Amino acid sequence: MASYKVSYVVIGMDHPGGIANLDHKPFVGEQVRLSDLTFEILEVFEIMPARGGFHYYHATCHPIPTDISSAGTHQESS
Amino acid sequence: MDLKDFLRRVELFDSLTEAELEKVAAICQERSFHRGDLLTKQETPGEDLFIVTQGFVEVFLEAPQRVVVNLGAGQIVGEMALVDQGLSSATVRAVEEPTITQVIRFAQLEQLFQQDASIGFKIIRNIAADLSFKLRHRNLSER
Repeated sequence: MASYKVSYVVIGMDHPGGIANLDHKPFVGEQVRLSDLTFEILEVFEIMPARGGFHYYHATCHPIPTDISSAGTHQESS
Repeated sequence: MDLKDFLRRVELFDSLTEAELEKVAAICQERSFHRGDLLTKQETPGEDLFIVTQGFVEVFLEAPQRVVVNLGAGQIVGEMALVDQGLSSATVRAVEEPTITQVIRFAQLEQLFQQDASIGFKIIRNIAADLSFKLRHRNLSER
C-alpha cells in the first residue's frame, strides 16, 4: 500500500504551508486543507525518489477565494 | 485502523518487519491535544517523539515569532532533540480540535535501539530522510 508524503507551499498569501501524508498522489485542481484553511493545488512534482512504499511530492497551492475573505478566523475541520 | 496498520503507513517505520513494528507499537502511547496545547516548547529539554495521527500542529519559532510549517497526519515532532540531544528547536502546538498523536519516550526508544540494532538503524535512517524532506520543503518555500 503506497503512502504519499507531500510538501505544500502556499503562494498568494502569507502562510507557512505544510507537510502531510496522503493515501493518493496529489493532483492539480485538488482541494487540500492545511490547519484551518483550504487551498487548491496548482502544481505537483516529485521531489525525492520513492523509497519502500513511500512517494515524495511537492505541491504548490493557492488559497480558495472563499477562504481569503475569512483568513484569520477559524473554520471547523471537515 | 489499528495502531500497527497506522505505524506501517508512517515513513519513520518504513521497512520495519512485522515483529519490529510490534516492538515499536508496544512503547507507543496515544495522547490527544486541544487546539492551542503545546507538544514541545522551544529551548526546553525534549523527552518525547510525537507522531501526528489526526489533525495538524504548527511549528513556531519564538524570535522572531513566526510559524514555519504545519505538520499533519504521519509527520513526526521531536526528532531533532532525539538525534542531537539538544533542547527543543521550536515550539509546537496543536491547531486542530482534536489533534491526536502517538508518543514514544526518547528513553524507551533508545532502549529499544540498544536491544535491537536493526530497528535503530532503520528508524535513524528514516529520521534522516524526514529531515531531508523538511529541508527540501523549506528550500521550496523560499523559491
